Amino acid sequence: MARVTFRDDRCKGCGLCVSVCPKKILLVDKDRLNSKGYHPVVCVDQSACIGCTFCAVQCPDSVITVEK
Amino acid sequence: MAKRVLMKGNEVIAEAAIRAGCRQYFGYPITPQTEVMHYMAKRMVQIGGSFVQAESEVAAINMVYGASSAGARVLTSSSSPGISLKQEGFSYIAGAELPAVVVNIVRAGPGLGGILPAQGDYFQATKGGGHGDYRNIVIAPASVQELYELTVEAFNLADKYRMLVLILGDGTLGQMMEPVLFRDEEPIVTYDKSWATTGRAGKAEHNTITSIYIDPDQLEMKNRELQAKYQVVSEHEVRFETMNIEGAEIVFTAFGTCSRICRNVIRQAAELGIKVGMIRPITLWPFPSEEIARIAALPQVKAFLDIELNAGQMVEDVRLAVNGVKPVHFFGRMGGNLPTQKEILEQLIAIQKGEQ
Repeated sequence: MARVTFRDDRCKGCGLCVSVCPKKILLVDKDRLNSKGYHPVVCVDQSACIGCTFCAVQCPDSVITVEK
Repeated sequence: MAKRVLMKGNEVIAEAAIRAGCRQYFGYPITPQTEVMHYMAKRMVQIGGSFVQAESEVAAINMVYGASSAGARVLTSSSSPGISLKQEGFSYIAGAELPAVVVNIVRAGPGLGGILPAQGDYFQATKGGGHGDYRNIVIAPASVQELYELTVEAFNLADKYRMLVLILGDGTLGQMMEPVLFRDEEPIVTYDKSWATTGRAGKAEHNTITSIYIDPDQLEMKNRELQAKYQVVSEHEVRFETMNIEGAEIVFTAFGTCSRICRNVIRQAAELGIKVGMIRPITLWPFPSEEIARIAALPQVKAFLDIELNAGQMVEDVRLAVNGVKPVHFFGRMGGNLPTQKEILEQLIAIQKGEQ
């Protein structure tokens, strides 16, 4: 089973990962702010992650780690 | 060998400044500009420069005044509310004719506003902001590569004219990661700085740097000298980029991030048979008024469409340049939102149909 984690404080909420996730399980979390003041991205359903790493490859700020 | 690397806009500004010979940085953190500081904090230690996180933006700009007085190439950076605080220093730097480079990675305002991109500081940047009759050279890059090249150029221009050069970016450009090609050697131009306050060194008179002139005639003469200098800058330093002007029926005017969106819309519009071109001012002051007037006079040009991340600021300068020869339309988004290609395309279609 795959697991996706985020270094929240590096995220600028650009949403690129959200746009490439084939399972549509990533979301810019409008209820939270990181130390920079941006809404960080969140995975809303870990069990649905297939570990494709599209999100991590796409991320310009090396925020995302995918473990399989 | 020139080196191609993937870097964040803010970090590229800092690297470019160091490459241009800047060894003094004074700043105060504010999103979305803080990476300029982070990078400087790390690098200045390595290369024997000075990095100071000042107690405020006001303190930082006055440290710039001091370092510049001593002849150093010096940088400060901030974002909109922080730049407002620095305005007093801008005016003093203009009055004392000191070279300095300031970066404004604009966020949405007014007030504390938000940290997302905007272009609402156009008026402040180009029309003054501080007190008195003065001008800053204002440069608006549109890519990470340009942030690099124009930052290096900004230091040359600042020294050449003994003026403050303001780099006007926005949250998108500052946070954006793009490939940047670094040159092996920077085109650094060294200007005479015998005016700097670096000690008497055997001279009978010491140099004085000030902006106070109590005698009204002296002050008027000083103002006339400044205006004459600004006139020279207006004649020699206007920069812009045009795209598809030949044959264009509607012409975009846009700077920075907006010009990138317009570039894509031009291609989309061409597929729909709408002939669209663009003029992108690279210097917002001096403004490319002459080129815009020339384009307005072209017989096939029917209208202008100005796209900005504000309620309509540069559009006033476009209208002055067009001078009623052709209609000038405006479309803007605010609050940190960017216009979509679809939205802009709809504006184009409406103009073409003559609905606006």
